[in-house]
Amino acid sequence: MPAGRRILVIGGGHNGLVAAFYLARAGHKPLVLERREIVGGAAVTEEFHPGFRVSTLAHTAGPLRADIARDMRVKKFGCEMIHPDPRVFAPAPDGRGILFHDDHATTAAGLKRLSPKDAARYTEFAAELVHAADVFAQIAAITPPAIDKPSPEDLWNLLKIGRGVRNLGQKRTFDLLRWGAMAVADFVAEFFETELLRAAIAARGIFGTALGPWSAGSTAVLLLRAATDPHPVGSASFPRGGLGALSAALADSARHAGAEIRTGAEVARILTTDGAATGVVLADGEELRCDAVVSGVDPKRTFFQLVDPAQLDPTFVLRIKNLRASGTVAKVNLALGALPSFPAVASVAAPGDSRRSLSGRIHIGPEIDYLERAFDASKYGEFSADPWLDVVIPTLADPSLAPEGKHILSAYVQFAPYRLKNGDWPSRRGALGKAVLKTLDVYAPGLSNLVEGIQVITPLDLEKTYGLTGGHIYHGELALDQLFTMRPVLDWARYRSPIRGLYLCGSGTHPGNGLTGASGANAAREISRALR
Amino acid sequence: MAKHYDVIVIGGGHNGLVNAAYLARAGKKVLVLERRGVVGGAAVTEEIFPGFHFSECSYVVSLLRPEIIRELDLPRHGLEILPLDGTFTPMPDGDLLWRVNDHAKTLREIRRHSQVDAEAYDEFGKMMLPMCRFVKPILSMIPPDPTTLNPRDLRKLYFLGRRLQKLSSDERYTLIQLMTMSAADFLDQWFETDVLKATMSASGIIGTFLGIRSPGTAYVLLHHYMGEIDGAFRSWGFSRGGTGAISNAIASAAREAGVEIRTRAGVSRILVKNGRAAGVALESGEEIAASLVSSSVDPHLTFEKFLEPSDLPADFLEQVRRYKFRGSSGKVNLALDALPDFECLPGAGAHLRGAISISPSVEYMERAYDDAKYGRFSRRPYIDVVIPSVTDPSIAPPGKHVLSCFVQYAPYKLAPGEGSWDDQREKFGDTVVNTLAEYAPNLKKIIIGRQILTPLDLEREFGLTQGNIFQGELSLEQLFFLRPVPGWAYYRTPVQNLYMCGSATHPGGGIMGAPGRIASQVILGDSKRAMN
Repeated sequence: MPAGRRILVIGGGHNGLVAAFYLARAGHKPLVLERREIVGGAAVTEEFHPGFRVSTLAHTAGPLRADIARDMRVKKFGCEMIHPDPRVFAPAPDGRGILFHDDHATTAAGLKRLSPKDAARYTEFAAELVHAADVFAQIAAITPPAIDKPSPEDLWNLLKIGRGVRNLGQKRTFDLLRWGAMAVADFVAEFFETELLRAAIAARGIFGTALGPWSAGSTAVLLLRAATDPHPVGSASFPRGGLGALSAALADSARHAGAEIRTGAEVARILTTDGAATGVVLADGEELRCDAVVSGVDPKRTFFQLVDPAQLDPTFVLRIKNLRASGTVAKVNLALGALPSFPAVASVAAPGDSRRSLSGRIHIGPEIDYLERAFDASKYGEFSADPWLDVVIPTLADPSLAPEGKHILSAYVQFAPYRLKNGDWPSRRGALGKAVLKTLDVYAPGLSNLVEGIQVITPLDLEKTYGLTGGHIYHGELALDQLFTMRPVLDWARYRSPIRGLYLCGSGTHPGNGLTGASGANAAREISRALR
Repeated sequence: MAKHYDVIVIGGGHNGLVNAAYLARAGKKVLVLERRGVVGGAAVTEEIFPGFHFSECSYVVSLLRPEIIRELDLPRHGLEILPLDGTFTPMPDGDLLWRVNDHAKTLREIRRHSQVDAEAYDEFGKMMLPMCRFVKPILSMIPPDPTTLNPRDLRKLYFLGRRLQKLSSDERYTLIQLMTMSAADFLDQWFETDVLKATMSASGIIGTFLGIRSPGTAYVLLHHYMGEIDGAFRSWGFSRGGTGAISNAIASAAREAGVEIRTRAGVSRILVKNGRAAGVALESGEEIAASLVSSSVDPHLTFEKFLEPSDLPADFLEQVRRYKFRGSSGKVNLALDALPDFECLPGAGAHLRGAISISPSVEYMERAYDDAKYGRFSRRPYIDVVIPSVTDPSIAPPGKHVLSCFVQYAPYKLAPGEGSWDDQREKFGDTVVNTLAEYAPNLKKIIIGRQILTPLDLEREFGLTQGNIFQGELSLEQLFFLRPVPGWAYYRTPVQNLYMCGSATHPGGGIMGAPGRIASQVILGDSKRAMN
C-alpha cells in the first residue's frame, strides 16, 4: 500500500477541499493551507453590514456534482440545501415576466401568455438539454486524454463518450456539433421567439466569461453548465446560512476523512529540489515539507508567483502567459430595510405568491441585445451602464441572514472588466454601485431607498482579497480554446505540471466551471494514481 | 423538350464553370445556364462607365486551387495573374504600416513600430506554413460523415486524427487556437502593435457577420492566409483584365471540353420526376431535360426557390432555412480621373499597387462590427481598397483609374429605424468616400463615376442570398461536414440526381473553385456506380 503520502493543498476553496477529501480517502495525508481566516475561497458567508450576512461572492451552488455531494455527505456535515421553486424570475421593464419552475409543464403553461409557440417548444428544449447534458457530463467527468499517446483508459473513455454520442442518433449528434461552436443567441433563437425568454436562457452561456450572446462558442459554455444541471436556467440552490455553510461542510467532511486544514496560512513559495516539488514556504517563513503539492489556486498565480518561472520550460510559460483570465464579473451586496417589490411579479403570480416568486434567482437582462450591449462596454474597458444582473434575495428562504424583517440582496454584475480604460477600480467602485442601483430601480421602483448598506466587490477586489488572478472567477476564461485538453493549457490538461510532484486541482483545470467540485475530484483521482 | 443533356449546371459562376469543365472532360454532355448576360457570377468584370472596367464584386485572386489552374490549363485560356504587392495601412495620426512581399523590407517597416513584433512576425510566418499545409488537403477532400461507421468515413476521420497527432505540440497548439479563437485574441498573443493586429485581423472577418473579437474568426484568417502561402504569393493578385478574366478563362476551358454555355437563361424551377431531378425550367418557360442537375447557386435558391417543399424531407428543409447567410459587406467601385493622394505617403508610389487597408486600430474594427450587430452599416467602416488599373492599365482609359472598395460592415437586415437599403445606398457610398477621403483628401475631386453595391444589390443582381459573398457564413457551425447542411455536406441532396457545387459547400467561398471540382468527382463517381 503506497499511500500515506504527505500532500500540501494550496488554497481552501471548494476544489481544494474536495481534492483533500478524496486524497485522504485514498489513504494520503493532505494538509490544506488557506490564506484567509475562513475556508471556502469564493464560496463564503461574511457579515458585510452589521447584522447582515451574505454569500459574499458565489450566491448559488453549481450545484456540487451529485457523486461528490454523496461521497462527502455534505448533508450529514450540516449543509442543508434550499431549492427554491420557481428557480428563476425574469422581469421585463414593461411589466411582463417569466417564472421558471422545476416542473417544465408549469413553466410552459406560464409562457403561453407570452407566446404559445414558445410554450410548446419549451419542454422540447428542456429535453434536448438533457440529452446534450448527458454527453457533456461524461466529458466533464473524465481526465482529458493525452493526444500524443492516449492511454488505454483514455481510449476507453473516448469510446464510451463516442458511444454516448452515437446513442443520440444522427440528428442530435449533428446538433451537438453545430451548437458547440454557435453563438448562444442563435442557439436560443432556434427554439424561441420571445426576447425575454431567449435572454433569460442565453445568459447562462455568457456568465463569468468575456463573451456576449452573439459571440460564437457561448453555446458550448451553456451546454457545459447543463452538464451539472440540465434545467434550462440552471440551478438556484443555496445552503441555509449561505455558501459558507457548504464550504464548512466540505471542510468538516475532509477533516473527518483525515485531512488537516490550516487557515491564516498563506503560501509564499513552492519549494523545489532538482525539478520536483518538495514543500512550501509560508508567508511567515515557516517551511513545510511534503511528497506532493496540489495547487487549488489559479494557474497564473501558481506558476508565476508561487514558482520561479525561470525553472519552467519557456513554451509552458508562454502558454500560461497566453491563458486568458481577465475577469468580467463584479458583485454587489445590499442590506435592505425591507423587501423590495417587483411590479412584474403581478403578471406571473397570485398576490399571495409574490414572495415565493422572488425566492430563487432574479434575472435582469430582458433582451439578447441588452446583454450584448452590456458586453460591448467591457470590450472597450468600461463597465456596463445598464448591466446584466443575476440577483438573489436569500433572506426570503433563510431569514437568519439578516435582522428581523430586513433583507439582503446579492447581485452578480456583468460586465465589469478587470482593466478599466478610464480611472481605476478604487475610484470607480461607487459609480458601479450606482449603475447597479439605477438598474434595480427600473425593475423594483424605490429599491435604492431601502438600502441600509452596500458592498461593491470589483474584479480588482476579487484578485486582491480572494486571490483570483485577473479577477477571473473561473481562474481562466471558459472559451473553446481553453477547455478540455486545452485547460489550462495544451499538454498539461491532466492535472499534472512540468514540475514533478506539483499538481493542479482548481477551476483553471478541466472542467473548471462553477461550484461543482469536478476539478478537485478529477484531480484527486489523477494524483492518487500518479503517487502510486 | 428538344435536346437532352447529361448534366445541367445551374449558374455560370466560377464554381459552376469549373464543375462543368471537369464533367465535360470526363465525357459528359454539359449545359451551363447563367441568368445574367455574362458568365462569372460574382467573379465578373463589366464596363460600368465608358472605358472603365470594374471587377464589380470579387476583386482579388487568392485561393484559386493550383491543381485547377494546372488541370484546366487556364494560362493557355488567357489567365494571367499579376502580383498584388503588399498591404498599405494609413493611420489617422499620419503614420502608416506598409507590408510588402519583400520580407526584409516588411520586417524593417514593422521594426519601426516594434522590435519584438518584427521578430514575432518572422515566427508567425514560420508557424502559419505548417498550419496551411495541414488544412490544404482538407480543402480538396469530401468531408467525412462523423456519425456513421462507414469505413470510408472512419478512414478519413482516422487520417485527420493521425495528422493532428503528427503535428508538433506547438503546431497543434496553434492549430487548435486557429480553429476556435477570435482573430484579435489570436494575434494578441503574437503582436503588440495595434495597427498591425488590426490590419492582420481584417482577413478574419471578410464576408462574415463576426467581429475580430468573435471566436471563429481566427479560422477565417487562416482561410484567407492560405492563398498567400500557397506557392508564395503567386496566387495572390489580380488577373489581367479584371476578375472576370478568370471566369472567362475557365469558361473557355469548359467550352473547349465541349460545354455549352447559355447566358440570359435564368432557371425558375428544377424539374423533379418521381423523386429524381430530370431537368430545369427557365424563366422563359422553356424546359430542358437532363439526367443530372448540378446547382452552383446557394441552398436558399436551390431548395426553397427552385424546388417544391414536397420535393424535400421536412427536417432537411428546416436545416436549409436555418442556414445562415447574413450578408455583411458591400462594394463601392469608383472611376477616377487621377490617383488618390494619401497624406501619410504622398505621390503615386508602389503603395498604390497593393491593397490599401482602412483598419487603423483594433477598436476601430470592433466598433465597425458593433454598428452592424444592431442593424446599421458601420459609420466608420473597414475598407479594403485596390486600384487594379495601376498594375493593369488596360481596364481604364489612359491616365485614369479604377478603384475598388470592399466595405464591412453592411448588414443585409437594417434595423427598423435605419430605413431600407434602397434609400440608404447613397448615404452608404458617401460614408465610404468620406472615410477614405480622411486619408486621401483629393479623392472627392477625382471621382468621375461611382457604383455602389449594397448587400441587397448583391442579392438582386448577382443572386447572392442576403448578399453573402460566400453563399453562407464561414462560421464554425457551417464548415466542413456541417456545410451547408449537416448530413448533406457531400455535394449530394435528398433529391436523386441533384447535386450542389457552389461556395455553400465545403470548403466554401472565395475564388477557389474547389467546391466545383470536388462536386464533379462525386457526380462522376456516382454515375459510374449507377452504370455498373
